[in-house]
Amino acid sequence: MPKIVPEARATAAQCRHYAMCKIDYLATGLCPSGPEKHFVTYYPQGRMDLYRGLAEGRIPVTEALLDAADTCSLCGICDAQCHFVTGLQPTAVMRALKTYVEEFRRDGGEAVRPAEDEALRRLRAIAGRDWVSNDPAVLWTYADDPFPLAGPQMPRYVVLPGSREEVAAVLRLAQELGLDIAVRGNGGSVFGFVFTDGIVLDMNRMRRIEFDLDNWTAAVEPGVTSFELQQEAFRRGLRVNAAEPAATVCGNLVCTGTFSTWSNVYGTAADNFVDMEFVGRDGRVFRLNDKAGPNHYAFEHRVAPSPGICTKAFVKLHPVTDDEEGLLVPFTNLDDAVRFACELGQRRIGLAVAVLGAHYIAGFLAPDEDLAGRLKKALPEALGVNYAVFATGDRFARDAIQKMAPAVIDAGLLRLLMLGLPRLLEPRWLDLAHDDEGRGPAFELLCRPEMRPLVEAVLQPSPETIAESVPEGLRPFYRDLYARPEMTDMVWLNMHRIVSARMSRRKHMFAFLVYLPPARLDVLHEILDGFARVAGAHGIDHDFGFLTPMDLGKRAILEYDYYVDHTDPAEKAKIAAALPELDPWLDGLAGRVPGVMSLKYVFSQGCSRKESFLYRV
Amino acid sequence: MKMDLDTLRKKRAARDSRILVTGGAGFLGSHFAVALLEAGYRVTVVARPSKGLSAPARIERLAGWFGLDERLSGALEVAEGDIVDPGWPEAAAGAGRFDEIVHCASSTAFSERKRPEVEAANIDGLRNVLDFAVRSGCGFLHHISTAYVAGKRTGRSAESWVEEGPFTNVYEETKARGEIMAREACRREAIRLNVYRPTIVTGHSGTGRTLRFNALYYPVKAAVFLRDIYAADIRERGGRKAAELGIRLADDGAVVMPLRIEVARGGGINLVPVDHCVRAFMAIFEDGLDGGIYHIANPRTTRIEELVAFGERRFRMEGIETCGPEGFAGRPKNALEILYGSYLEIYRPYMQDTRSFDALNAAPILERRGLVCPEFDYGTFARCMDYAVEADWGSKLWGGNRP
Repeated sequence: MPKIVPEARATAAQCRHYAMCKIDYLATGLCPSGPEKHFVTYYPQGRMDLYRGLAEGRIPVTEALLDAADTCSLCGICDAQCHFVTGLQPTAVMRALKTYVEEFRRDGGEAVRPAEDEALRRLRAIAGRDWVSNDPAVLWTYADDPFPLAGPQMPRYVVLPGSREEVAAVLRLAQELGLDIAVRGNGGSVFGFVFTDGIVLDMNRMRRIEFDLDNWTAAVEPGVTSFELQQEAFRRGLRVNAAEPAATVCGNLVCTGTFSTWSNVYGTAADNFVDMEFVGRDGRVFRLNDKAGPNHYAFEHRVAPSPGICTKAFVKLHPVTDDEEGLLVPFTNLDDAVRFACELGQRRIGLAVAVLGAHYIAGFLAPDEDLAGRLKKALPEALGVNYAVFATGDRFARDAIQKMAPAVIDAGLLRLLMLGLPRLLEPRWLDLAHDDEGRGPAFELLCRPEMRPLVEAVLQPSPETIAESVPEGLRPFYRDLYARPEMTDMVWLNMHRIVSARMSRRKHMFAFLVYLPPARLDVLHEILDGFARVAGAHGIDHDFGFLTPMDLGKRAILEYDYYVDHTDPAEKAKIAAALPELDPWLDGLAGRVPGVMSLKYVFSQGCSRKESFLYRV
Repeated sequence: MKMDLDTLRKKRAARDSRILVTGGAGFLGSHFAVALLEAGYRVTVVARPSKGLSAPARIERLAGWFGLDERLSGALEVAEGDIVDPGWPEAAAGAGRFDEIVHCASSTAFSERKRPEVEAANIDGLRNVLDFAVRSGCGFLHHISTAYVAGKRTGRSAESWVEEGPFTNVYEETKARGEIMAREACRREAIRLNVYRPTIVTGHSGTGRTLRFNALYYPVKAAVFLRDIYAADIRERGGRKAAELGIRLADDGAVVMPLRIEVARGGGINLVPVDHCVRAFMAIFEDGLDGGIYHIANPRTTRIEELVAFGERRFRMEGIETCGPEGFAGRPKNALEILYGSYLEIYRPYMQDTRSFDALNAAPILERRGLVCPEFDYGTFARCMDYAVEADWGSKLWGGNRP
């Protein structure tokens, strides 16, 4: 019997399923087998699941499992990719999986080869032999995710359609056979929504992007991720409003309407696209702009089904000027930060805008969990930064912000702080800053332009300095990575959102999103206190996420996060007890205060006009 | 008076009066508690848990720092509590009645932005202590204040009540308000009251030992850290950063750090080594039984120019000069000068002090015992800084943890 390596098993269980190993976001290249085979099974995420499945006795050794193990070249790309966001290094798991398979073969083991049934034959006739599987190992990689209150649930088939017509044909067949369908844009699942005992449709093969610059749109197929679209737009000197980098553009539009810090200027939901194409549950194709079609721009205040399977979105492209930079405006308290962010919205100053807490700022800036933890503590205690308004803007916007705010961490200073972070967090400097009895918080002094040479001398900012904070084996990679200008460019980082997954580096994250009227600080505090109260009562780690003004500061979206170790049964019990308390409380608040709306109700109605859920008339 | 002189003297002589010291893990609180203990009194200290350490653990660590023998440290009782917490007396009261309270717990922050925490400690905390004094049957309150309740007054500061401002900062203001609160409560309840007003307390004049590295230490520490950064820049990285600020190595290896410190001419800083402060406190505690206000000050202030020279000599630095505002004309402040300007701004009133602190009440007691405040000369400065370096400015006091 092949052996399971406990450390590898523990690492495998920690996989967050954020699919960051499926996008080439660090220019390392991708796991070679992934883009060839397309099933998530052939990406590091899938192999982590395979190892966990073997360890837990969930799956036998199958032909696909052998193939997935054999096609791993132990190139180490996944270590860099995964460490950047989660701190995990999956190569040890990959090696353990390969060793397991070697021992299995040495012991004369015979891999399971599932029989082909009628449905499989018909699905293969539609999508092609290679793109449909009922192999238990493949199915397992679509059966579970880190959401502790759902799954695992094994599908019967996984299908990777290559075209709109194939999607329609699969839907018709599923209807005929009475099989349920779950659609996964990028093959992954995080929040327990896309499980089925029928067919999982993984859209990973539908990856075309067609730019129509005359019409300021990009026609995007459902397997295209936010990162990939943004990358292509960026190459053309343009920008889209994109969500989490490994999430698909179409999937996000349908599910949440896509919101981001850029929603301050680009809006959300129907603001993001010109038109969308769907295959309805009955297999018929329609566009949202068809006058005779169903009206999905309207919004129903209930958890509603999606319009169908999106097979193309005509996403809006936005112009970019060549003088955009990011900055942070530090604040000692939340109310001042929220007022400032909303004022930017009202005055139409800046592009992406968000109020961030110490937790997010630390997570964004620090390449390592230990460093992030120390920075999170140091920001309020030593530097007086409890919150900060992050903003991007052209030179006019930045000039205005510099005039409006007493202290600004501009792009240059932010770069110094990022690259010199390990030095900044040396206890002697933190003590000096902490004990400073100056009139203002320490950050005011730090932000003064005349202080820049001193800051540079103290921090010795460089790719080498920041690389000191990561495990030794990864230091050369991080040195090269941080030598690239975009890695300290807040505009690039924010539009590609590659650091946002770091928020859940320590534990899996439950993000709660609520639209609210930001002028009502009393309501904001009621919401924050409510989330904190429930989390506190159940002993759950929790923190403020971010707040972004929308629609000229009349509305905002707030994220509040709970953190749970999804591998710990005790933590699972805590979140299971806490979640049912949140809905009635939030629903009550939403009923009382115009503009308060849980994103839960927008879910699957992301094609609506934002006005139809942000305002109630 | 709740406790007549005769009873007080008898209890003191028999060493059976119980004394509660608040702020027992703090700088002055711990020193006074140890001195009382060594004099044979029954002492209970109130201390907060901090950074994962319980109050008893903190006090045990302090006992080690003071070198208390087992008998003495065993005799020291600890009550865990935070005077800011209205529920704190339960911890202390559980340990019984107290004849006398030495109230040392205080916030010494100056910055207006820290007003909430300063008021919490110096006003709300004091109120809780006064309430507890009444409830615990305390007959004598020893209130540790500061000479700087004098606020912005110039000239001679008397050992008398300061009824109103103006004050330089929230610390002075709350300490002055605190004295009046203590006076009113003690008058109302017939509790004897001594108010002790030290100036700026430094390390031990003979050994340099201290538990706090703020005030005098902070600007020296900042200068030494910066000296090290730029010396490393010169030695290891070609000195580009150092050159930007005109920093260089002198032939003898000293770091030339051009730094103008703005000070007014005249005056100086009033520094009292902690050993004198403790001796003075004990003398007043034991002999000043009628109640009163007592300055514990150095009759001779130290000029900033002297301190700068001490610092340069001790830490092998050159180029630091003091000047008036005119010294910056035509040459704007560089980053080092801005940093120093920002920090020293809040200390400026204490750096150029031309006041004298009357000691009509304190002087006779100290003279009777032959106590003279040591002059803060280079020897004392160097000993204080030697200890600071040895303790890595506090971080190595307890093997890496801050006190």
